[in-house]
Amino acid sequence: MSRPAPRKPEYHKINKDLFVLTYGALVAQLCKDYEKDEDVNTYLDKMGYGIGTRLVEDFLARSCVGRCHSYSEITDIIAQVAFKMYLGITPSVTCNNSSRNEFSLILDKNPLVEFVEELPAGRSSLCYCNLLCGIIRGALEMVHLAADVTFLQDRLKGDSVTEIGITFLKKLDEKKYRRKK
Amino acid sequence: MAVCVAVIAKENYPLYIRSVPTENELKFHYMVHTSLDVVDEKISAMGKALVDQRELYLGLLYPTEDYKVYGYVTNSKVKFVMVVDSSNTALRDNEIRSMFRKLHNSYTDVMCNPFYNPGDRIQSRAFDSMVTSMMIQVC
Repeated sequence: MSRPAPRKPEYHKINKDLFVLTYGALVAQLCKDYEKDEDVNTYLDKMGYGIGTRLVEDFLARSCVGRCHSYSEITDIIAQVAFKMYLGITPSVTCNNSSRNEFSLILDKNPLVEFVEELPAGRSSLCYCNLLCGIIRGALEMVHLAADVTFLQDRLKGDSVTEIGITFLKKLDEKKYRRKK
Repeated sequence: MAVCVAVIAKENYPLYIRSVPTENELKFHYMVHTSLDVVDEKISAMGKALVDQRELYLGLLYPTEDYKVYGYVTNSKVKFVMVVDSSNTALRDNEIRSMFRKLHNSYTDVMCNPFYNPGDRIQSRAFDSMVTSMMIQVC
């Protein structure tokens, strides 16, 4: 018994309504504080980045996924393991370009927007769930992958589905395991 | 089935009021306004007793020759008033209760919208469509 067993996923449940209402209150307060939609989107992304850099440690500890060898594997893990673990949904993954570094996560059900019917007047370019983009971006950066994450389509803005686009940029840190002689 | 549906705030101003035959809208507004007195009377008559689900429904407030007015008050003193056609005798108490329950559920969904400020007029599409479904004549 030399190796400790992997940490069992302990799901401390909270009420989903409480979480959704808390997120809604956060976005509503940001809308009151900042007049421009771009500012609100930027701050949501920054907050998400802070969450993502911390959340990825918890995710890697709980999920025990192995090393990924390709961008599409990474996106699959984000969709099928991470989203399932934290939000309880499993978005579908599509690859957008032939060089295999642009992917889309298509969410048919988004629990964060459960009570929001439509964006308020004058806030038509608000990305309500931009926190998610920041979280994904922060998490990927902690594993040394730079990525650009944005909303390509949003049901709240009238599109038919909600689509998050992940574009992988070049790796931040090249593997340098050879000792410098 | 319902001819007019109104949601009245705690301070007795309307958050939402809609009636189906739109010609005599003012008459329905007046009926709802007068029914508020009856609602207040019923609430104060309940005294300090614990309010549970059954007592949220106030029942028939007052009948007129053409219409009957029903009331329902929530624990946060938001009142729902419904005017139904007297000629529709098939409408039973249970159905009225279930209509009020649906109204209450839709109202809580509207309240949960983070962009809705309590006290604003209700402008939700989902709420509108729920009220429309209650108002469509089932002949």
